Amino acid sequence: MRVERRAFLSAAGMVGAALCLPQRSDAAAKPDKALEEAVTVIAAVQRHMFPKGGRLPDAETMRMTRFLTETVSHPTYDRDIRVFVIEGAKELMLREKGKLLGYDRDAMEKALRRYETTDYGSNWLSRIMILSLEAMLGDPVYGSNVGEAGWRAVHSFGGQPRPKTRYIQL
Amino acid sequence: MKDVEFDAVVIGSGASGGAVAYTLCKAGYKVAVLEKGRLIRREAFSKDEIAYCRRDIVTPNLFEEYHVIEERVDGKWEATPSYESGWSFWNGNIVGGSSNFMSGMFHRMHPDDFRLKSKYGPIEGANVVDWPISYGDLEPYYAKVETLVGISGRFQAHPFEPPRSTPDFPQPPTKENAVVKLLDKSCQALGITPLVTPRGVLSQDKGHRNACYYSNFCGSYGCSSGAKSSARESLLIPALATGNLTLMSNTHVKQLHSDSKTHVSHAVAVDTVTGKERTIRARLFVVAAQAHESARLLLNSANRFHPDGLANSSGEVGKNLIFSGGGSGQGELHEDSLREISFKELMQTGYFVNRSILDWYFIDDWWEGKFKGGSVEFMFEHQNIISRAVKSRYGKERLLWGDALADRLTERFTKQKTVRFEIFNDWLPNDNCFVSLDPTHKDRYGMPVGRLRIEGHPQDVKVGSYIAKKCEKVLEKMGAKHIYSSVSATPPQNLVAGGCRFGNDPKTSVLDKQCRAHDVDNLYVADASFMPTGGSVAYTWTIYANALRVADHIVEVLKKGEV
Repeated sequence: MRVERRAFLSAAGMVGAALCLPQRSDAAAKPDKALEEAVTVIAAVQRHMFPKGGRLPDAETMRMTRFLTETVSHPTYDRDIRVFVIEGAKELMLREKGKLLGYDRDAMEKALRRYETTDYGSNWLSRIMILSLEAMLGDPVYGSNVGEAGWRAVHSFGGQPRPKTRYIQL
Repeated sequence: MKDVEFDAVVIGSGASGGAVAYTLCKAGYKVAVLEKGRLIRREAFSKDEIAYCRRDIVTPNLFEEYHVIEERVDGKWEATPSYESGWSFWNGNIVGGSSNFMSGMFHRMHPDDFRLKSKYGPIEGANVVDWPISYGDLEPYYAKVETLVGISGRFQAHPFEPPRSTPDFPQPPTKENAVVKLLDKSCQALGITPLVTPRGVLSQDKGHRNACYYSNFCGSYGCSSGAKSSARESLLIPALATGNLTLMSNTHVKQLHSDSKTHVSHAVAVDTVTGKERTIRARLFVVAAQAHESARLLLNSANRFHPDGLANSSGEVGKNLIFSGGGSGQGELHEDSLREISFKELMQTGYFVNRSILDWYFIDDWWEGKFKGGSVEFMFEHQNIISRAVKSRYGKERLLWGDALADRLTERFTKQKTVRFEIFNDWLPNDNCFVSLDPTHKDRYGMPVGRLRIEGHPQDVKVGSYIAKKCEKVLEKMGAKHIYSSVSATPPQNLVAGGCRFGNDPKTSVLDKQCRAHDVDNLYVADASFMPTGGSVAYTWTIYANALRVADHIVEVLKKGEV
């Protein structure tokens, strides 16, 4: 089978500070500050993936960044993926020489597609997309999929009974 | 809790543990069921995809609890801890076990599955043996499962349908999506006989359990009506009602202590919440912890009386681990090319596809020859919303986002529905498929974790591939698009058996034909560990039936005061 979940942690294609990924224990120790710094980059990427005025609910209205932040900072979440989410954002910012947040839509598209040409960037964008889709299509109990707009967009709705609490409170 | 001695301690609360506990409690014996997972009651289950399908809430966090999986890579055995690969064999570790989360496609094994070696002869590289019991020994218990645990269905005569002692199932089949009209017609045009799938899901109310309400989210989720025939609903709740059952959740058994060569005195258990250790005494012990973990427990219970592991004088504990061979495939039914039924009917949510094919259970092919084949289940792709969207996130070579993603999701969710098939064929037992104790990795209680060496037999893939081609033809006939199948030697996560074979010879088997350890008078293994071969169907019905058979024997042993 050899499906290495952590294969995406391979440093292939990385150019900057993230070249030496911290060991799991070190990285897991203080992730929250690092996550805060990465959040602006992640939010910009999510806004590009799910823009206002598009045919899917937009990232901001769906509170996708908040969902992602709450999810990856929870102690039960896979520590390696949390580190990857943070480091991947840093790497993207570094590749774009710190200018990413000032990009217009065309420039952002080009930057993300450039990043996608590396295995590392491609895996990171995929992870951000997965977490964003979880936000858009998960139960509204998690604070996103506001007004079930995500479900309405795909004409598919969660089953009954719906959760009354988030999974960690079960 | 005061230190009491039970008549029986059952380790594990899944299908087999539940069946043993139910029978013994009904017979008036005091039973303790020790389950390492927590209790989730029916009313707490929901259809929360994030919780049940995307996080580890009903299986252990792999960083905290794991095993090591060994595979052959470029001719060398490579061992990887499951926290590294993300690949584990944990299943439904809560009260009721994985039966809470099954899809409930139930089939009996065929009489020839009990005499595979006699019928087909030896296969090179495979440790195939006949069972020490026959289909006739198990048939009354297959019948009992239908009424006690609850199976809905409709009997249809078929050359490979095992004989039965009752005319039909106690409940009619669950409701079916109109796609079965198209599927049936396509099968018939190809000379294939589709059969209604017997299902461990109630179509009618039964006692404290309500009929299926067709939630559209069945497999992988706990059932909120009690319709699914889980051990928790069908056996443990009635067992608790007798007042004879002490159900201890969050209780992990790390060792069984033997005080002589032939007697286990107590279980050493740990409260998984507090970490507090205690001993639990009983006249008799029944291991039902899921195949690979049952073997690990016996191996971890070695002491001076059993230096190679409890009940392991044969050296067979952990050997001949088996899974289910086979694979799966799928095709898409699109709105613009659908025949026989309306698109609206196809998109009706909740109802089952409910079709099985047994035509290839035994194969006699003019070109390929005669060999043991397998069974097939048809179903819709799981209706989980997030996972379907995640699968659709790529276009040609790159990630989709914005309106391109919207277009893809609209197509995927509103213009087509995917029909899948799953193939079940024998996973031939062999010398390179077993569980042992890992020499370095230990669990959080200080005990070696299981090390599972996994390798399939080439015949398994040959059989699966043969059947997959037939199934693809069915999908083609249905007018499906984008048809493909995947058959490999990678085992499914949820169908594990073997590791403590039963047999008549103590030198080549761990258990006798009643699933009592040859070496230890008051020790039984009641889960799928006993199976020397697995048949070509999902194991669940056989696990329930055999555990009920073993439990009847245990009742006799307790009555006679033999332990």
